[in-house]
Amino acid sequence: MSFSELKDRHVAATAMVNTLRDRLNQKRQQLLDTDVAGYAKSQGRTAVNFSSTDLVCCRTLQGHTGKVYSLDWTPEKNRIVSASQDGRLIIWNALTSQKTHAIKLPCAWVMTCSFAPNGYSVACGGLDSECSIFNLNSQVDRDGNLPVSRVLTGHKGYVSSCEFVRDQDTRLITGSGDQTCVLWDVTTGQRISVFGGEFPSGHTSDVLSISINSSNSNMFVSGSCDATARLWDTRIASRAIRTYHGHHGDVNTVKFFPDGQRFGTGSDDGTCRLFDMRTGHQLQVYSQQQANNDQDVPIVTSIAFSISGRLLFAGYSNGDCYVWDTLLAEIWAFGGHRKVI
Amino acid sequence: MQANPAEAAPVIGRSAPAPSDTRGKHWISAEVKRLEQESRFLEEELQQLEKTEKLSAGLQEFLLKVESVPDPLLPETTGPANTSWDRWFEGPQDTQGCRCLIL
Repeated sequence: MSFSELKDRHVAATAMVNTLRDRLNQKRQQLLDTDVAGYAKSQGRTAVNFSSTDLVCCRTLQGHTGKVYSLDWTPEKNRIVSASQDGRLIIWNALTSQKTHAIKLPCAWVMTCSFAPNGYSVACGGLDSECSIFNLNSQVDRDGNLPVSRVLTGHKGYVSSCEFVRDQDTRLITGSGDQTCVLWDVTTGQRISVFGGEFPSGHTSDVLSISINSSNSNMFVSGSCDATARLWDTRIASRAIRTYHGHHGDVNTVKFFPDGQRFGTGSDDGTCRLFDMRTGHQLQVYSQQQANNDQDVPIVTSIAFSISGRLLFAGYSNGDCYVWDTLLAEIWAFGGHRKVI
Repeated sequence: MQANPAEAAPVIGRSAPAPSDTRGKHWISAEVKRLEQESRFLEEELQQLEKTEKLSAGLQEFLLKVESVPDPLLPETTGPANTSWDRWFEGPQDTQGCRCLIL
């Protein structure tokens, strides 16, 4: 095929993709006959009513001397690992606030951490493009530092997020600035599967966050600078199961809903959104959009759901932390942090 | 994909393609394949969407499910009371906590 014929085919293929995307958007809009809040109000539901004595801070974990970028709980919900750009991971007894480990990292520019399901290992990653695994029961070296027990190398960009697969201590998923997600075998350090990259339907920009489905650990969702979230099946690396559009900026954070059938997202566009995993529907937008559009809307940096999913906690770039009633899309603010969450 | 020598031969009125044209051809060819694959995925998704129910269809079940799960962070939640929650709301046993700074 000649170069000019190829160029014509490229123009035609681009036009076809754009036409199909438009048709998809239109069809999807037709199916969005309501949202969660509209439906809940029509069914007579009222918003959660917090008083000033509800949601009070019961623990402050002090010790890091730099920004805390990430934290993760053990499955038993009694210990926490936190990662800071002071160059440390700290393991906390969450009940007593005591520190059990302070791990000096080979690279201080850490962005993410995760507790292994067995509670004996932690993983972290960051600007070094590697994921380091530490065994908490290892002997410390003569400098008193816990040695790295395994390094997962292969990403061509920063590791923005990592999570152990819940019912498999030996598997970990990472998201990266190289636009891919990777499923790793931690015992061998080998990549089992790469999601995205040269295959179509992968992210077209940095992956910033991943979340594994707690009800079905074969499924995980990723959020990216390409303003989409994508659903993956770890058994099918060749394509994303579904792509979720709606955000107008980087998707900084994704988190599965407790029931494993929906997931939440938070973005540079200042909104959180709730998506239905199976249908792809955008169920609800949680927006603080100001009436005066000249004001900068703070970006959403992190989210988490309460155990029922009724509450969506969202941290914003201006240091605010809000809690949304997910069913009624109403919002409360509470303080505590003085800077960005 | 190798450049066809016949196509690379000069044609009247046109000069021989520069090396950058050959690199461009490889790139465009890969892009065309990617776009055509994406078209197939989008068509599949359109077909799936034809069989997808409206958003409202699943919401009653969603509301009931969320409201049925006991949640300690809610001012009021469905029972029974879970005593294991109390240890979090009693406050830390050591009120000073551990505040050593990591240097």
